[in-house]
Amino acid sequence: MTIRNVLRDHGQRYRPRMACLKKAEKVVLEMQDPATGVKLQPQRLVITTIPHAITGEDIVAWLADRFQIDAQEARSFGSMLVALGYIYPIQDHKRLVVKPDASLYRFQTPYFWPTQQWPVEDTDYAIYLAKRNIRKKGILELHEQEQYNRLHKWMNHKWDFIVMQAKEQYRAAKERKKPDRVVFDCQERAYWVVHRPPPGTVSAMDYGLERLIDPNAHEAKTPDDYERIMIFTQQSIMRPRVKSSVSIGALVKYCATYKGHDPFLSKCLPSNPWLTDDVTYWALNMPNVEIPTKMRVERWTFSFGELLSDPRGRDDFRLFLKKEFSGENLAFWEGCEDLKWGTAATMKEKAEQIYKTFLARGAPRWINIDGKTMEITVKGLKHPHRYVLDAAQTHIYMLMKKDSYGRYLKSPVFKETMKKAVCPEEHKFSDSQLEQNARNRRPSLSPIIIRQQEQEQKAKMAASAPVDITQLCRFTTPVPHLAVYSGITDPPSANASPSLPFLAHTPACPSPISVALDSTSASERRAEASEGESEGNPEARASAGGNVSKSRVALSLRRLLKRGCTPSSMFASLSPKCNSAAGTSSRIQPITPDEPSQAPPRRIGNFFQIKVDIPPECRIYPIESEDEDEENRAISRERLGTKEIICPWESLTPQNGTG
Amino acid sequence: MSRWRRSVDELAARRRQHECERAQDALSRVTSCFQQLVASLGSSADGSFLRDELDETRTVAHRICSGNAWLSCRLLRLLSDSDSAPSGVQDRQVLERLWVLFLSALEHFLYDLRKACDLIGQFPLAERSNRRLLVNTGCVDGVVGVAARVASVQLPWLTSEVEPSPDLTNHITGLETMMSEMQQRVPVAFWSVEATQPAWAEARGEPDDLVESLEDLMEVEIIAGSQKTACCGLGCIA
Repeated sequence: MTIRNVLRDHGQRYRPRMACLKKAEKVVLEMQDPATGVKLQPQRLVITTIPHAITGEDIVAWLADRFQIDAQEARSFGSMLVALGYIYPIQDHKRLVVKPDASLYRFQTPYFWPTQQWPVEDTDYAIYLAKRNIRKKGILELHEQEQYNRLHKWMNHKWDFIVMQAKEQYRAAKERKKPDRVVFDCQERAYWVVHRPPPGTVSAMDYGLERLIDPNAHEAKTPDDYERIMIFTQQSIMRPRVKSSVSIGALVKYCATYKGHDPFLSKCLPSNPWLTDDVTYWALNMPNVEIPTKMRVERWTFSFGELLSDPRGRDDFRLFLKKEFSGENLAFWEGCEDLKWGTAATMKEKAEQIYKTFLARGAPRWINIDGKTMEITVKGLKHPHRYVLDAAQTHIYMLMKKDSYGRYLKSPVFKETMKKAVCPEEHKFSDSQLEQNARNRRPSLSPIIIRQQEQEQKAKMAASAPVDITQLCRFTTPVPHLAVYSGITDPPSANASPSLPFLAHTPACPSPISVALDSTSASERRAEASEGESEGNPEARASAGGNVSKSRVALSLRRLLKRGCTPSSMFASLSPKCNSAAGTSSRIQPITPDEPSQAPPRRIGNFFQIKVDIPPECRIYPIESEDEDEENRAISRERLGTKEIICPWESLTPQNGTG
Repeated sequence: MSRWRRSVDELAARRRQHECERAQDALSRVTSCFQQLVASLGSSADGSFLRDELDETRTVAHRICSGNAWLSCRLLRLLSDSDSAPSGVQDRQVLERLWVLFLSALEHFLYDLRKACDLIGQFPLAERSNRRLLVNTGCVDGVVGVAARVASVQLPWLTSEVEPSPDLTNHITGLETMMSEMQQRVPVAFWSVEATQPAWAEARGEPDDLVESLEDLMEVEIIAGSQKTACCGLGCIA
């Protein structure tokens, strides 16, 4: 009994691959034809004479004649026949080649022909080794000894049978006449040289993976086959076509563009690591390198796709967009990619996050897509799946490509990067240096570590997410009198967190709001804010404002923030364009009685166009980063114990505090 | 009373066990001879004589394998072994070993049978022209001795009924079904069976006639003064 652990063949035992076997058989049968085949000669031994031996030169000559090929090719063909096991050499039996001289060969009996149908069994090999053991009193070759030990271990349960069978076969073989016995032994030995070659030799029977169908089997054409042919041709008629001039033109253009960047076709600066074993090239082109190479930067100019697919390019683009205050587009696009490629378990949450962050009315980082796409997306979010945001993503992608990309290429950010980009010198290694490089080869970082680093970086980025200007201007007007109320005349940019580079760009923006950009925990703020909640009291506010002016330096930024926040609602109401239409705006957070609502306003496309839509008692929640949003929701969810409104199609009732 | 019964049972069990062992030996002998015969199929030694011998050998094997006594003997003992506790673990191990050996022998025989089927299909001897296709391997029929050996095999028990031996394909299918049946009905964990002799045991202690190695057999006469470097490959280990 054998443990049949065939390789994962999915229950298909017969998987022929070597179509050559059938063809070789035909050739061999022709060869051995007594009339027209290779000339047979007897082999003279001491004890007897054995017929049907052939010489190597005869084989080569016959093959060359039969197939009309030259001697060299005939020789290789003959060697192939020997390697497959159809002919075996009598002398020098371990080298499976045809020597074009008088060395003798013989045809193998069909029992020992190679077939894929009945794979070579280890049991037989074990019996053969046991027989040899008996015969040679234990003197086997090294690899045979190893095999023997291995088989003894693995076939221990049937070892008695193997030994018994070996003895019986040995005795049975002795019953034959001497010449036949010699022949049989030679045959068997040759068989095992082919199928269990010593280590280090190349085996002709090594055919790789097994295939599903027999290339030699005759396949009858069924009606199904014809139906398939018909369907295929019908579909190819309907296929859209491109003129070959156009497609060839595209290919030519592609080749011309990328020719310089292909390490096969042009030089790789500083040197190709595969050739010189020097990894500078890879180190210079790491995904998160500070200073990219010139070639890499040039690649970004080829197409928008190139820019996005290169992590360094994407970083640069992100920086540019931050300066332009349209970073939400890229963030949305990345979120969609994350959704598409992420695990199925997290998909639903991710879709929700993305919706809340980017798509909902009044979302913190609202993206600007047209109504139809929004409709489709929102409808699809009822049953979120991996590609539900595809339409929106495409829209945003095209927007970025047509609009931002062009500006990026002309922007100072890009120009700066290009100026700083490094162009490494070409290495010129001497031979000894090359050897040294080869000796100093080290493995690179494990992909697990790389992935961890990527994730850390992602988390870091998410934590210090840039805020978009649109959010900033949500509740505010760019009115100078804001500064009056807050009591702060100049933006405390010095105190501002370093993650607010655009403070400089927004002089009109009131400082408390800008200060509010500091990413502090919302709950803390809320807690603090609730202390100072004394709405409707202008004096309090004024005094709060005054407090601010007094204790600005002493207070922590957070408190500043809080104090500064209070008057803002008044600002809002003072704003000329404010329509304090309470309750008409949609909410994305449930409201608790003790907490002021965060009324998401109408989205503002432009800095200077402020349409604030806040109820008077609203409190400005300073700009929170996304995860604070989430924290908010998480905490409120915990407190409320109710489910949030996620589905946008449900009617959003004006605040009644329930989710 | 019961002790007497038990000892009778034990004796019977021992006898059956010996029978099984002898049957196993016989089967080995027959299968090895069968292999010698099949190795000549399709070669120049092939002929009607060979094919007849093949059939006869097959018949003998069939009689050994599928004798009802064999199966019932084995199956009964192994299946009912849960009852006879006193026979002990030792006996059960022996039985399992015999079981596994028998199945291995069957499997091996089946492999040869299938090959024989293929070869007979590939080299039919119906017409004279087919003889040209036979591969000239150097064998010129020497299977008489083998046939005699087969004939000398003694069956461990007399089969009263002489079943007609099936033809090749039926034989194969019959054996296959028998094997699968046996494997299903008796749950023997074959990996728990161990060999009785250690490795390399057969290398020592073959005290019978002198063993001729292949090199000796293949020694080529060296004609004095001739150019031929009549090398038969003595340099390499055969």
